[in-house]
Parts: sequence; structure tokens; C-alpha cells
Amino acid sequence: MTEKTFLINKWVLVALVALCWALAASFMTGYYYYEYSDLSSKVKESIITANLGVNYGNGSAIRWFNETKINAGSTLLDLTKLTASVNYTGSLSGASVNAIDGVRSSDGKYWLWWSYSSYGWTFGQVACDRYVVGENETVFWYREVYSANPQPPS
Amino acid sequence: MNTVKIAVIATFCALSIGTDYALIGLPNVKLMDLIVFVGGFLFGPVVGSSIGIFSWLIYGSMNPSGFEPRIWVATMLAETVYGITGGLLRKALGSTGLGSQQFRLSVFFATMGFLPTVLFDLTTNIVYASVYNTPVVVAILVGAPFAVLHEGSNFLIFGVLSVPTIVALRKVVKG
Repeated sequence: MTEKTFLINKWVLVALVALCWALAASFMTGYYYYEYSDLSSKVKESIITANLGVNYGNGSAIRWFNETKINAGSTLLDLTKLTASVNYTGSLSGASVNAIDGVRSSDGKYWLWWSYSSYGWTFGQVACDRYVVGENETVFWYREVYSANPQPPS
Repeated sequence: MNTVKIAVIATFCALSIGTDYALIGLPNVKLMDLIVFVGGFLFGPVVGSSIGIFSWLIYGSMNPSGFEPRIWVATMLAETVYGITGGLLRKALGSTGLGSQQFRLSVFFATMGFLPTVLFDLTTNIVYASVYNTPVVVAILVGAPFAVLHEGSNFLIFGVLSVPTIVALRKVVKG
């Protein structure tokens, strides 16, 4: 490749910019397709049931709220507020949970959430108020150390 | 490796780490990638890659967003893509004067900021998926808005800043 190839021929630059645009557009198309498919599969009924577990990470017993009835389209934060007292902070990137039932994030332990699927336990990738809970889904709040590789609920 | 190169690596690392912490409030918008790229362009792929590795070695171990060893190693290695790209472009451009054809060069460098970022984001998303037991496709799709933000911001940052930065640094240090 010489300087003349891509600096004198403007179409090489146009092609490169178009490639960047195509990649970005493809990623966002895939994202919205996935979000639409995921959401539409979760809101088939008006009332759904879901299971919520809470591990306080302080030695106390794990609490389970099985077959909790919620409106379709409810988020994990809605489900949690229905079953426990929640203290959270909202931001542009979504809600961050500070405490559940009065047990606060402390000593390097944070409230992280997991979802159970056919792949096993999956780490929550988005804020709890951005995640729509599905029919019969099992989600789990785990107060654990994030900085040392969070482990799935056992 | 001579002392000038060692000093350059140390200075560029300090710059990239400092700017990363300064921009912590803007997720996925950072100057580190540009600094690594410029290091590679001026001093070759080895120096550029070293800046990337050492920057992540420090920033990644004291990352306010959390620490996970496998993701840390992956980001360290993936960051070298900017240094390698910079080093290869230096050879490809040869003795081209960066002062001339500045607009076309800026557009070209913008795309050279975007494309390696796609590789970086794909790599880190794949490692993320394996660490957190998430299907790779889901990790890539769910992470797409963050990836596109990273890629788009690098397109702008590289397009606007790379040519002036390289021109200015060439006057200070003979790469």
C-alpha cells in the first residue's frame, strides 16, 4: 500500500467510512432485534410469575420469593420492590441498588444480580431497572465481592 | 530499547492512565487508545503495544469499574491492537508529510480508530461472555450500544486529534 492508493483515491476513504457505518449500524440493528425478541417473549401474558432469591452475603439465610405474581413487562427492580425494601440510586446508566432489606453494600460487597437460564447462572449485564423479568424466570440478588471475580449463586 | 523510548513509554503510559481516570464519568470514551496509537505511529508497534499493555496493567488493576483477572489480561492484550495499527500505518504512509492532505489523512485515521476498536470490543465481549457464562452472541448484542459508543468516539477522537498530535510530537521527539 502506498500513500497514493488511499490518499489520492477518495473512494478508498469513502469505502472505509461506509464500512465503519455499516459495522455500527449492524451492531445496533442486532441489539434492537435482540431486545425486541427478548421483550416480546417475556410479555405474552398480562400477569406472569417469577422467582426471586436474595443472598444477603452476611451469613443470614437466603430468602426465596417463589412464584411471585407481577405485571408482564415489570423489571427486576419492580419485582424486588414487591418482595423486599430496596434502597437504590438512579443514574443515566440505570438504577444501582444500595441496600435490600436494610443490608447495605459495604466491605467491598455489592448487590449484584444473576439470572438462571438453560446456560446456568448468568451475570446481570444491565441495571436492574432496565431488565424485564420473563415468565417463570428465576433471578437472584447476591451481595458479594465484585472486585475479586463475582461467583454465581451456588 | 534506548532510554528515550523507555522515557516515552513511561510518559505516554502516565498520560493514558491519567486521561482514563479523568474521563471515568464518560463510559467508553477515552484518550488511551489514541495515545497508544500515536506511540505506535511514532516509535513502532513494539513501543506502541508496550504503552497499551503497561497502561492497562496499572489502570486495570485499579479500575473503578471493578477487577476481573481474565478480562484484565484480555484488555491488556487487546489494547496492543492500537499500537500495532499505529506502527503498521507508519510503515504504510512512509515519508508522507502529515501537514499536506490533512483532511483526507484525518478521515483515514478516523477509520483507523474505528476498525481496531471493533476488534478490541469483540475480543473483550467474547472474554466477558466466557467469564460470566453468557452466550457470546448475547454478550456482543447486549454490549452493542457501549461498543458503538466506544467505536464512534474513537472515530471522532482519532479523526480530530491524531494528525495534530503526531505532527506536534514529531517536532519534539524524532520518532
